[in-house]
Amino acid sequence: MTPAARATSLTKVYGSGDTRVTALDAVDCEIAAGRFTAIMGPSGSGKSTLMHCLAGLDSVTSGQVWIGDTELSTLSDKALTRLRRDSVGFVFQAFNLVPTLTALENITLPLDIAGRRPDRGWLDTVVDTVGLRDRLGHRPSELSGGQQQRVACARALASRPTIVFADEPTGNLDSRSGAEVLGFLRRSVDEFGQTIVMVTHDPGAASYSDRVLFLADGRIVDEMASPTADSVLERMKAFEAARA
Amino acid sequence: MLRAALRSLLQHKLRLSLTLLAVVVGVAFVAGTYIFTDSLKRSFDALFEAPQPDVIVTVDAPDFGGGGPDAAPRETPTLPQSYIADVAAVDGVAAAYGLVSGDGAIVIDSDGMVVGAAGPPARGTTWIPDEAISPLTLVDGRGPQGPDEVALLESTAEAAGVEVGGRVRLETNGGSVEPLVVGVVTRGVSGSDGSTLAVFDLPTAQRLLLDSEPVVTGIQVRADEGVSQDVLAQRITAALPEDVRVQTGQQRSADIAERLEEAFQFINTFLLAFAFIALFVAVFLIYNTFSMLIAQRTRELALLRAVGASRGQVRRSVLLEALVLGILAAGIGLVGGVLVSRGLTLLLRAFGADLPSGPLVLEPRTVMVSLVVGVVVTLVSAYVPARRAAVVPPVAAMRDEVSLPNRSLWVRTGLGAVLLVVAVLTARAGLASVDDGERAASLAGVSALAALVAVIALAPVAGRGVLWVLGAPFSGSVVGRLARENGRRNPRRTAATASALAIGLALMTTIGVIAASTKASVATVIDDTIGADFVVFGAKFQPFVPDVYQAVKDTPGTAAVTFVRQVPITVDEEQSVLTGVEVAAFPLVVDFEMQSGSFADMALGDAVVDDATAETLGLEVGDRVEGTFVNGEAPLRLIGVYTAAGPYVGFVTGINTLSSIGSRELDSAVYVRVADGADPATVRTDLEAELAAFPAVELQDQASLKEQVNGQFDRVFGFIYALLALAVVVAFIGIVNTLALSVHERRREVGLLRAVGTSRPQVRRMVVLEAVLISVFGAALGVALGVVYGALLQRVLEPQGITELAIPTGQIWMFLALAVVGGLLAALWPAITASRLDVLRAIATE
Ligand SMILES: Nc1ncnc2c1ncn2[C@@H]1O[C@H](COP(=O)(O)OP(=O)(O)OP(=O)(O)O)[C@@H](O)[C@H]1O
Ligand SMILES: [Mg+2]
Repeated sequence: MTPAARATSLTKVYGSGDTRVTALDAVDCEIAAGRFTAIMGPSGSGKSTLMHCLAGLDSVTSGQVWIGDTELSTLSDKALTRLRRDSVGFVFQAFNLVPTLTALENITLPLDIAGRRPDRGWLDTVVDTVGLRDRLGHRPSELSGGQQQRVACARALASRPTIVFADEPTGNLDSRSGAEVLGFLRRSVDEFGQTIVMVTHDPGAASYSDRVLFLADGRIVDEMASPTADSVLERMKAFEAARA
Repeated sequence: MLRAALRSLLQHKLRLSLTLLAVVVGVAFVAGTYIFTDSLKRSFDALFEAPQPDVIVTVDAPDFGGGGPDAAPRETPTLPQSYIADVAAVDGVAAAYGLVSGDGAIVIDSDGMVVGAAGPPARGTTWIPDEAISPLTLVDGRGPQGPDEVALLESTAEAAGVEVGGRVRLETNGGSVEPLVVGVVTRGVSGSDGSTLAVFDLPTAQRLLLDSEPVVTGIQVRADEGVSQDVLAQRITAALPEDVRVQTGQQRSADIAERLEEAFQFINTFLLAFAFIALFVAVFLIYNTFSMLIAQRTRELALLRAVGASRGQVRRSVLLEALVLGILAAGIGLVGGVLVSRGLTLLLRAFGADLPSGPLVLEPRTVMVSLVVGVVVTLVSAYVPARRAAVVPPVAAMRDEVSLPNRSLWVRTGLGAVLLVVAVLTARAGLASVDDGERAASLAGVSALAALVAVIALAPVAGRGVLWVLGAPFSGSVVGRLARENGRRNPRRTAATASALAIGLALMTTIGVIAASTKASVATVIDDTIGADFVVFGAKFQPFVPDVYQAVKDTPGTAAVTFVRQVPITVDEEQSVLTGVEVAAFPLVVDFEMQSGSFADMALGDAVVDDATAETLGLEVGDRVEGTFVNGEAPLRLIGVYTAAGPYVGFVTGINTLSSIGSRELDSAVYVRVADGADPATVRTDLEAELAAFPAVELQDQASLKEQVNGQFDRVFGFIYALLALAVVVAFIGIVNTLALSVHERRREVGLLRAVGTSRPQVRRMVVLEAVLISVFGAALGVALGVVYGALLQRVLEPQGITELAIPTGQIWMFLALAVVGGLLAALWPAITASRLDVLRAIATE
């Protein structure tokens, strides 16, 4: 089975001369389809950069990135936009929703942009899974932070993308709201076979995933299958100690 | 605080530069107006440097009639020629010269066309062969002598395309002549008011301009050396009968200077009105910019407050920014004023005024006014935003997502509703008092102002609904829905942006309605009163020789031909016109409605008068009317009253009565009715052939007359449109500015849209659509207001002859189309900026 996303010798350099930063240093990785992958690592290690490059939001300095069978470096802005619209879902840490649209309109936004009719059955399933049926007519300003993130998750899934990227989706949430969002992501993998990549700092959050990639200084330094909160924490402490 | 204010200005320089532009345009208009009128004034100085007679003797009465299409031709009162000798005999007089000057020497160019525009007169005057006192200076050739010589004003010679040594055709009161051009003269001022001037020696001037006895219109005197003007004037006054006016050269200069000053004051005020309209529109733009900048800086301001800045300090720091901006704008505006003043000159030239060219004059007053206007306008517009900035609570610094509390629109809406009621009531009161012109006009003015402010006040509330409706056709797509919601989400901002456009377009539409109504009214008058198939008029409203009547009468295919003569008449100090007609023939060609008395009974010494004049003068049938004419008085017996209509106003009498009064043998119009069965087109061709010998008359029918009159109105209204256009341009700058700021404010949202797959064209469409919705909203408000007040103004002006109401539908659609196109153009730059936003930068949490 082809991986949902794949990168080979992916390098990303910001700036030049004195201000030159190598955010990603020849990263090779595969994101397995139908799995929940977490990316962890210290601040500044390149997690967001990796995710942006994998998602076609940012250009790469060298190396190649595939989403499904499509290689991204050759695509025009137009094709990339279409790819993001049709094949990629996003959940950001904050400011995920368009304030002038209702919750439902936000969920169907990528479909509306594409001019596609939403699949009613699927939409119902997604809405019920996030548990927001009675809030669909509300504007984002009338929703709590956790509810807003759940709407964002629903949006990411509504168009049945090849892959969903989430950058610290629970970073701004309290533990209960965070658990709701993570539980939802987990279920979408288990029940609908969705592929999800999530960046997080929180070992607890990482424990919802099937596999954790550890990043440090722009390289993948380790990975762990079937993580638990404790095992992740342990591993991270070990890194800290090694670096010190 | 100064440093904070300056830094903030620099940080927002792009967005502020648009605001700056709006103030600059307004200030440049003000400065340009002053520079323009000052320079114009300066260029007339030469007039006063030219030589002057020491004493001028004229009749103690103003010129009679003059100018317009419904007034009698101008006639200048005359003195007996024998007075010249009387003046010359006065002790201290070195020389006395007779002068004849007046209308009635139409210059014809080599193509047989009349030189000069339709309005300004074709004047003739007398050459004073005395360099020391002649206001005319030769620039080429010599002064005219004898019956076959003429000198022309430089601009006249140029327009006619003749030089010294050539011949020029002149259509004069004394007939058609073609004298030798022996000189070209100047008055010291390069441009002209569009009038032409031909200069003859005295006997020739008398023959060609007056066509009458040895009389003169004035006597010009040179004093002996050492004799003062005042003393000489006293002596001359003593030597002459009482009915003459003796003026010194200095008095005359002062009189002319005063008249010029009045004219310049009028031009200045007229242009300034438009400058202030543009500035008023700019106020909305500045208000919007400062509101948005402050909304963006809420957290920064809260931080200032948290670290101990007082409300006053915060407010002052915002006002300080406005002050710096205002000074900057005033400075640039002053420079722009030079361009505007040049532009005004070009604009006026394009609309047919021949302006003198001279150096630009920048008075200290202009600098002061520009500075004050720029600073005051900016400060006033920034005041409300500054106050709102000061109320940002310090805790806002600690909050994550901050926005200024949006105060409720209730107060504003209430105020708007009250003003709307005031507008309706004053409009009704105005309509009820249409007969009292001044009262009606001021009530209409108050109503218009109240309605304008009401519309501005109500625009935020109305805007949400209107934009929802306007956006409905686009709401099928998410892009359309987003555009609509973006327009609706900040009602104040949208309203201020739209109001700016509404003001400009309201004025334009009002003018449009009045222009269309005026034309329609004139057309009705022409239809109603000119029953004739053809009319012959003199060029420049000049009367013409009776040979024209003979030529027309001899043309085959004409059933009835009649002529009229007009002279100015004064009754009880009221100026009017006395028209002499052929009693039998006149009613055959002109629709004429008698209210009382019988026109056909007209005998020598009888006259009829129109109802309006009868009312003004309190005249009744049977009254004896004492009329004063250019050179005397004569009584008229009133035998009837007719309904005033269009060009027929004043007194009408038989042509024999007019001749007995001593009118000139010159006709004002010849009316033609085509014979039954004759083809009008053939008759027209024949008439044109007959009239080819008379280049200074025009053959008109109803259609061509309407066309000519419409052409004149189009010029006037076109000029006003051009001046209002600047306000509309400022309003569109406002749309650019609002959108640019909105896009900047929403860059995260745009980034998010891009991240989830919105294409660049979709983002552009969204911004463009928002702009078009806002500008159509503004245009719709403006057009609605303009139509209502155009109609009201028409009713108020009804007694002035604007009897028909016409709504220029085509033009109104054009304005709305203009709003769409303007909105599109205004959105171009913000839309491109929005579509090029860096997705990652936009979504990055700050
Ligand atoms: N636009 C940019 N320009 C220059 N350097 C950048 C840019 N974006 C990221 N970097 C640098 O690249 C490196 C990786 O950044 P990245 O945002 O991927 O880290 P991260 O692992 O997501 O950190 P965090 O956990 O704090 O979100 C950092 O050193 C950062 O400073
Ligand atoms: Mg990050």
